[in-house]
Amino acid sequence: MREVMGVRMNLHVKDRVAVVGAGITLFRRRLLETPRELAWEAAKMALDNAGLTLADIDCVVIGTAPDAFDGIHFNGEYLADGAGGYGKPTVRVYVGGGTGVFVPIAAWWHVASGLCNTVLAVAEEKMSPAHPHPQGVFAYIWDPVLERPLGPNLIWIFAMEMRRYMHRCGATKEDIALVSVKNKRNALDHPAAQAAANITVEDVLNSETLVWPVNRLDISPVSDGAAALILAREREARRITDTPIWVEGIGWSLDNTHWYNRELGYPRYVQYAARMAYRMAGIERPWKEIDVAEPYDPFDYKELHHIEGLMLARPCEAPELLKEGWFDRDGELPTSPSGGLLGVGNPIAAAGLMKAAEIFWQLRYEAGRRQAKKPVHKGVAQAWGDLMQVGTVIVMSN
Amino acid sequence: MGEKEKLPGHYLKSREMYELPGLVEYQPQAKYRFSAGQAQTRFLEGLKEGKIMGVRCPRCGRVYVPPRAYCEYCYAATSEWVELPGTGVIHTAVISYISTFRERLEKPEIVGVVRLDAPGYKEDSYEFAGLFHKLCGVAEEDVKSGKAIGMRVKPRWRPPEERVGDVNDIECFEPVEEG
Amino acid sequence: MSWDKFWKASSVKHYPGKMEVEKYVYTPGIHGLEMAKALKEGRILGMRCGDTVYVPPRTFCPDGERGELVDVTDEEWIVAAFTVITRDMYGNPVEPQVVALVRPIDAEGGLFHYINAEPDEVWIGMRVRPVFRPEGERRGLITDIRYFEPA
Repeated sequence: MREVMGVRMNLHVKDRVAVVGAGITLFRRRLLETPRELAWEAAKMALDNAGLTLADIDCVVIGTAPDAFDGIHFNGEYLADGAGGYGKPTVRVYVGGGTGVFVPIAAWWHVASGLCNTVLAVAEEKMSPAHPHPQGVFAYIWDPVLERPLGPNLIWIFAMEMRRYMHRCGATKEDIALVSVKNKRNALDHPAAQAAANITVEDVLNSETLVWPVNRLDISPVSDGAAALILAREREARRITDTPIWVEGIGWSLDNTHWYNRELGYPRYVQYAARMAYRMAGIERPWKEIDVAEPYDPFDYKELHHIEGLMLARPCEAPELLKEGWFDRDGELPTSPSGGLLGVGNPIAAAGLMKAAEIFWQLRYEAGRRQAKKPVHKGVAQAWGDLMQVGTVIVMSN
Repeated sequence: MGEKEKLPGHYLKSREMYELPGLVEYQPQAKYRFSAGQAQTRFLEGLKEGKIMGVRCPRCGRVYVPPRAYCEYCYAATSEWVELPGTGVIHTAVISYISTFRERLEKPEIVGVVRLDAPGYKEDSYEFAGLFHKLCGVAEEDVKSGKAIGMRVKPRWRPPEERVGDVNDIECFEPVEEG
Repeated sequence: MSWDKFWKASSVKHYPGKMEVEKYVYTPGIHGLEMAKALKEGRILGMRCGDTVYVPPRTFCPDGERGELVDVTDEEWIVAAFTVITRDMYGNPVEPQVVALVRPIDAEGGLFHYINAEPDEVWIGMRVRPVFRPEGERRGLITDIRYFEPA
């Protein structure tokens, strides 16, 4: 394989970029608000947080997962006014589940290129409209010729990946369930949380087995919600706030859709994305230099998978470190201090942006009881999506 | 944003939602017709004849199953069709207790990925020729213990008169008997 | 080098598919709920942002702030644009039907609705008024207005 993939890029940027505000709505199974109202609520909170009004925003970036979830075609365009895109250069970006972190990535290049001084980045997802269950919509990610005729359920693919990871790394279901325990506990301190709880490994193992090795409590819930960030170039950022959080690196990478033609035990595409972001950020030893991380956790094993893909642990080392408390809030490298998708909820694009927002709050020391114990200088947020295919990574510092 | 922040959003219980004035319910009528394309059609016709056909990249020699018209690594058109033995090893295997729509299944189903014996790949390479399919004759305990992974398997074909040129012409992959 | 097309287009296999969603359920939202309640009462709402009234009410005003809901039922409504439907979505002929964008004369936006008039009687700028269904039939939907008729 061409090892240069994902790290071959131009590092010259016109403007340094900072995050200067963040907003979020409640994450819930079913919300009264329309998708554009959710987008507006999150965006309004981010503007208020930065002390700005919509008139101060030059450009808007919107992220939302497939239209079929919200049940509205051109959902990006539909959201445009709710997301503050009224009469402005506005674009919707989309890379499946990786969209949430791709939104600030796209916002970054709007600013870094010198095109916009300030960008409002909004992600929204409303998964409750599809009945009886969004599962029916998910059926459409399978190939219609070679996969759908076998009658698959979405969980199969995660179960297959989890099984492969367990085999490759000698990890047990108990080892992996600890992620769910940790994240749902962390989420008790997140005001948006939908699935926060004090549970034990036994609770996870005793919950309904859906597709062995996946039990119900290994999975994040179905959610409605929105989140927003405001990014600005250095000069504006310093005017807006005394504590801008710098975007030091971004990266993304896409593998092929033939997921059953690839090793499932390690996410190569996440590593490529991470190397791109670390290279830009001048990070050579991420396992030492990153202080806090938000790896994508729609399933509990995924957090471990992604910790390894992000090179925050060696391949297959994450389960052992997790057991030692390495990734707890008071550990060496807190992961998902927000509570993650498992605890806070999973409105797809909004969930990824929630992770980036958590790094912003952590680096500003504004996370309250969620704040990591150790001093934090550099953080990374990551999302993943499609058919075990895409990695999106953002590195920030204070 | 600390733990006490009051956030926007109005949660609805399912019943509350159905009592709302102005609630709109809509039944989508989206019907599709997907083309299998040339490479996959040839593959499906092969299945009808009881053959697993791959296609070779003339540059790197990788044999693709399922076949594609191009090599994604060399970005060259694939050219030569190759019949594979159909044997391979289980890459991963799981036990499903639920249907596509999450109904509980009476009899759990074992499915997984088979890494096929195909030329053009290094041993243990990240990418390989393979299929996603049902697995039969594999015990649930072996899936759970991990014994199933790496097990050698071959396709169990439906009788020729039942084959229609579909991925289900292979009933499942089953263990190769020892010796 | 190119892919050898030794297959006729007609011999390529096809797979049928259908979106496996029984239905979508759309919640009215915060302002939509106010609008829905008003429709049930035989009223139409707009939103005032400064000097401008938007119909229907918007999520928020152009400056990002929330506006004030106002009743626009008895305003002077006009036809802003219209067209005549002669076929249904499958191409079958239907009785000619006028659909129009109507709005209060001083408002921005407008509602998309039927006009109960012969096609050759309708003109842009024509004064119209809403006709509601009987109270018991109203469900808080746009169809609670049966149509607009010449005023």
